[in-house]
Amino acid sequence: MIKKINSIFLFLLFACWSGPGDPAVQSKYDFSSVGILQINIIRDHSNMLGSGEMVLNSLTHNFLKYGYPVNELNDNLFEVEIDRGELSLELSCIITEFTDSEMIVVPYRHEDRGYTKTVVQQSSDQDEEKEKSQSSQSQTSTTTTHAGKVREGNRVEYTQSKVGVMLKMTDKDSGDMVWSNSYWYSGLELQRTIDLCIKNGVVQIKKLFP
Amino acid sequence: MRILNIIIFIGVLYADSSDSLLKASAALNAGMFEDALMHVSKAQKEEPTNPDVHQLKALLHEALDEPEDALEAWKECVKYSKDKKVKRQAKIHIQSLSQE
Repeated sequence: MIKKINSIFLFLLFACWSGPGDPAVQSKYDFSSVGILQINIIRDHSNMLGSGEMVLNSLTHNFLKYGYPVNELNDNLFEVEIDRGELSLELSCIITEFTDSEMIVVPYRHEDRGYTKTVVQQSSDQDEEKEKSQSSQSQTSTTTTHAGKVREGNRVEYTQSKVGVMLKMTDKDSGDMVWSNSYWYSGLELQRTIDLCIKNGVVQIKKLFP
Repeated sequence: MRILNIIIFIGVLYADSSDSLLKASAALNAGMFEDALMHVSKAQKEEPTNPDVHQLKALLHEALDEPEDALEAWKECVKYSKDKKVKRQAKIHIQSLSQE
């Protein structure tokens, strides 16, 4: 028991040391002998009812998209056929973030640079008494400059979705954790954000099974 | 008497990128992504070093399934942003889009 706790502690330590983005992998595990990957039930995030099913659907969709057959078992459990050997893995997913509409505020500075207006007034008067001999012309020009103004503190607002998950794989027989990583993604549409977040995880899992 | 008025406006300069950004956000909130992108592109021409404009542009390209344009916009966002959170978001998107 103590050995198992120690190994989990060391595994987590390694996961933290690896830094974000890099999965923690048990290097001794023979991924080339995995036959079945069972996806466990995913619990809803407290923010949204049904979020677990959305993520589960996205997982099965992405595995299918990358060419793995997916079977639905009883009780909403799914199995992905890796078909490389006899070993079985369990994939667990915890939804760490599920935000449908996070408000993004962009403060901006509105600058009115002003303008310069020039008015040219031209008049032509002809003295009839003096007939054609005399005539007068005048031209005046006025220039006005407006300084403009700067307004600060205005805001542009829009909403974006954010989804975060933690994925881990354990060997079904021994219970050893063999792979783990976390992902998050943001976007303007929730469904697309879920899909892209999960896709990043599935792409890394796929690399384990050459 | 003949009066001729010639009015000439010289140097009428308006910095209306914020207007474009406002229009973009209005279109975006109405779900009109293509219109929003049009306004954001206009804002980008007027404020090419504003990271918020590049961020919004990148998100719009992703929503419209234009990964190559989105990748370019995220790279510009990283280049000009000083906000660590935004930079991290951009790097995650760049990593994801580069896999495609």
